[in-house]
Amino acid sequence: MMGSSFKRCLLGCATAVALTLAAGPAVQAGKDDNTLQVAFAAEPEPLDTYKIAGRQGLILARHIYDGLLYKDLDSGEIKPALAEAWEFTGPLTIDFDLRRDVTFHNGAPFTAEDVVATFNTVVAPEYGTRYSISVDWIDHVEKLDDHKVRIHMSKPFAGAVEMLADALPIYPREHFAANGSEGMAREPVGTGPYRLVEQIPGVRYVLERFEDHYQGSPKAGASIDRIVVRTIPEMNTQYAELLSGSLDWIWRIPPDQARRLDGRVSIISAPIMRISYIGFAPQALGGDSPIADSRVRRALLHAVNREAITEAFSGGASKVLKSACNPAQFGCEQDVVTYDYDPEKAKALLAEAGYSDGFEMEIVFAAMPRPVAEAIAADLANVGVTAILNEQQYAAGVGKWRAKEIPGFFSNWGSYGIGDVVFILSNFFGGGADDQVQDQEVIEWLAVADTASDPAVRQENYSKALKKIAEEAYWMPLYNFNVNYGLSQDLNFTPHPDEFARWWLASWK
Amino acid sequence: MLLFVFKRLLMALVVCVAVSALSFALMWLSGDPAIAIAGSGGRAEDAEAIRIAYGFDRPILVQFADWAFKALGGDFGRSIYFNIPVSEIIADRLPVSLYLGLMSFALALAIAVPLGVLAALRPNSLVDHIALMIAVLGQAIPSFWLGLMAIVVFGVWYGLVPISGIEDWRGFILPVVVLSYYAMPAMMRITRSGMIDVLNADYVRTAYAKGLPKRTVIFRHALRNAVLPLVSLSAVQLGMLLSGSIVIESVFAINGLGRLAWESLLRSDLPVVQAIILILSLVYIGLTTFSDILNAMLDPRIRGTD
Amino acid sequence: MRSEEMPEEAGAATSGKGRALKRVLGSSGTVIGGSVLLLMILIAVFAPWLAPHDPYAQSLTDRFLPPFWHDASHPAHPFGTDHLGRDYLSRLIYGSRVSLTIGFGVALISGVIGIAVGMTGGYFGGRIDMVVNFLITTRLSLPIVLVALAAVAVAGASQGLLIIILSLLLWDRFAVVSRAATQSLRSREFVIGARAIGLSHAAIMLREILPNLKGAIIVVATLEIANVILLEAALSFLGLGVRPPTPSWGLMIAEGRENILFDPWLIALPGAALCLLVLVVNLMGDGLRHLGGNPIR
Repeated sequence: MMGSSFKRCLLGCATAVALTLAAGPAVQAGKDDNTLQVAFAAEPEPLDTYKIAGRQGLILARHIYDGLLYKDLDSGEIKPALAEAWEFTGPLTIDFDLRRDVTFHNGAPFTAEDVVATFNTVVAPEYGTRYSISVDWIDHVEKLDDHKVRIHMSKPFAGAVEMLADALPIYPREHFAANGSEGMAREPVGTGPYRLVEQIPGVRYVLERFEDHYQGSPKAGASIDRIVVRTIPEMNTQYAELLSGSLDWIWRIPPDQARRLDGRVSIISAPIMRISYIGFAPQALGGDSPIADSRVRRALLHAVNREAITEAFSGGASKVLKSACNPAQFGCEQDVVTYDYDPEKAKALLAEAGYSDGFEMEIVFAAMPRPVAEAIAADLANVGVTAILNEQQYAAGVGKWRAKEIPGFFSNWGSYGIGDVVFILSNFFGGGADDQVQDQEVIEWLAVADTASDPAVRQENYSKALKKIAEEAYWMPLYNFNVNYGLSQDLNFTPHPDEFARWWLASWK
Repeated sequence: MLLFVFKRLLMALVVCVAVSALSFALMWLSGDPAIAIAGSGGRAEDAEAIRIAYGFDRPILVQFADWAFKALGGDFGRSIYFNIPVSEIIADRLPVSLYLGLMSFALALAIAVPLGVLAALRPNSLVDHIALMIAVLGQAIPSFWLGLMAIVVFGVWYGLVPISGIEDWRGFILPVVVLSYYAMPAMMRITRSGMIDVLNADYVRTAYAKGLPKRTVIFRHALRNAVLPLVSLSAVQLGMLLSGSIVIESVFAINGLGRLAWESLLRSDLPVVQAIILILSLVYIGLTTFSDILNAMLDPRIRGTD
Repeated sequence: MRSEEMPEEAGAATSGKGRALKRVLGSSGTVIGGSVLLLMILIAVFAPWLAPHDPYAQSLTDRFLPPFWHDASHPAHPFGTDHLGRDYLSRLIYGSRVSLTIGFGVALISGVIGIAVGMTGGYFGGRIDMVVNFLITTRLSLPIVLVALAAVAVAGASQGLLIIILSLLLWDRFAVVSRAATQSLRSREFVIGARAIGLSHAAIMLREILPNLKGAIIVVATLEIANVILLEAALSFLGLGVRPPTPSWGLMIAEGRENILFDPWLIALPGAALCLLVLVVNLMGDGLRHLGGNPIR
């Protein structure tokens, strides 16, 4: 009896293993009923744009609501949306001519009152807008006539036009006044190309094309009738459903899975601004660590097979970086000293620096997958450097970095999604709290570059700084990130680097 | 009888104090709570201010008494991560875990008792062997692995059930089945052995001798007495199901108390962990105390032994 | 994480014939369980010679190679490779070391603690026994998985530390059993006799009573080993047990989790190994319990 139960367990285990060879079922695609089936792993937040931060909720919101302006990422051009024309009429005033033929999803006409009511409500501190930086430059909005408004700014803000481009939606005055933020989220009403017809928060959202979406809208031309968005936390379920055809659109697929899915569904990899890096801190531990020696830092760059790591753990549109920024950014000099994978050279440099027996160093990593850190540690071990990996929450890791407690910090930086090296270099090398290098030359070049208005001057000084950063090996730049989208093979979809999905541009093949 | 109940309750009370002291100690063993609350950007001065504001500068016994009395009133302090009262978070998550635990318990009972009785009626029969096999396997398979394999087979390949989250009742199917299989073997075995003991007892033989129908004997006489050990075990198992759900909840992405405890540990949100340990312990103490007293009332022989 | 219940008797057989059958079956369970367990121990001991590769050696170009029953498998890696291109067979072999070391280590230390506590309470009775009873009840009230997780989170998790933490948490079953057994023995003639000739309490406990607990302790120890192995796997699975890159079966299941759709064998294999080990340890425990009659009653 005992023997038989033992055999049975073996059999059970074997069956479990054998079952892994079986295949899944098949379901029909959404093309037939012109419905786009979408899944997110994280649930969208309540649909009041002013209160949320997650991409999932914001993507839905941008289908439902419109801003005064719109930025066409393909051309980089700001286009009119709810406003037909705009003009800076003073140092702190912008006037807008509003469109006349726009109606909200609930049939209410769009007028100056809506703009005034929306902005004046969300700028009030008690409204609790999530990112005050997005609205605190607005003092108040004044109605000039039924289709003309004036924004009075509280301070000069260079990002005003960018911000008004779809990031600050206009709500219908009466509905918003009567129901507030929670009411807007419960029953979102906008002017956008899609209207929300059903929502079970955290479970399912159904969008339907809004037939009366205004003529001339930058979001016009939607061809898909319905979009069903579901929350499916387990990525493996998403893959299975995508393969079986019950999903048409998923994203943020890790590279390994993307590789497996490729060919069976369509996989698109789109680069984004975020890059990964290992920062070295010559100043850490009282400046008395092996890392303070530039030969050691160069050795570490030679020791790590960044090509293989990038290929294995990021793949797609990711490339190994040469300098300490994303090549897509303005000022990101590519003509710098590079370090190819060469363990022998690394060992020689270490020996030259007096570490022929290697040494031990702590590397804190945050917001990066552990396997990448382990692969780096394995490469370092090959040249005799023992990396003690310590995974931390980002805030805690940065805290240790600033406290000069760690010689190496492995993490990533998104530059706020903006294509200019000013958003990355000054933070890490400009002499501030995150600058554990404190190279006076670099600090001065960056100061010039950040404040100059002549692009040529900026470029020249960024170039000098980046060349020195590479020369001294202050950083080990790794790779730029990409986002993998998994799509039904019947779907046309173009991803954008800002990670806002624009389903109104999607269509069936 | 009253003395037994009194003694049992007194013991429960002392254990409660000990358990709360242990969960309170957790916070202090993990380092300076003031620094933890000040967070990564916190400077030494911030931590000092927090130390005074939160009363961390007082003698430790005073702090413990303060914490324990507040906990008695349901105030477990604030979560470092969410920055809202711990009790609010727990009130949000506890029902999910209770539902999961109770459903699994009911399912385990519904399978274990009939199977145990059947096995006991015919020892060494095919039924007995199958039952034993199920139990032996159940005690060897790690529940988190069973959960993952169930996800692969039923959720991913065949798409029969949702495999993570609890959108509707269907989301509970797999976790409840897996969790009940974890609790079932012990209950089945104890029912079987209890039943075999009782069936061999004199009064059951007498009942048979009197010519009572088999069904009457089994259900009226035998089963009723055989459940005594099952009652004690059930209390233990129910308590375990609540705390054992930590693994299952993280496998199936269920937003219950167990997953909350796990995530709080990963982000060093110790006030939440403290509160959950205390609550689970108290539930366990309550259940076992209740079952001991119940047992004593059902079976007068027990009273004398303690 | 396994049941906290006392190892209950498997049920008295109804007839003499049944009892004899049970004996034989019980012993065959012991034989099978024991030999497979021995085999697994040998595998663990000789891991460096048996493992075809270094379990830590990565190869980023050979990641996710499938196991031998797939067409695309590679002869050098019969059980494939993991997400870092490490040989899965070698990691599975080395994983047995972690499970067995922690299983036996914890059973040993918690056994010493539990037996000392239990015998003291059972032998002296009275107030001392009340304290022991209180300690056992308190320990039983703690949600074991959560407390173990919290302890590891606070103390850190080297393998040695993990053994100590689990030992401090899992002595209860030893204590319960040795306490009950000592209680029933302390008024026996040989104990009273030993006391009469002036042996010290410690000597009586160690020389007279302890040998009589042997059978019961071995049975509890086997159950406890199985229990600990499962608990370690669960802790590692939750990311708060054995630390990467150490090959632990629980950790391997956690690492394979992201790939359950395309590479389910990554979790199936270590899980199966875990199942097998716990099963054979349990079978041995069951068998020993039958052989030794029923020491825990």
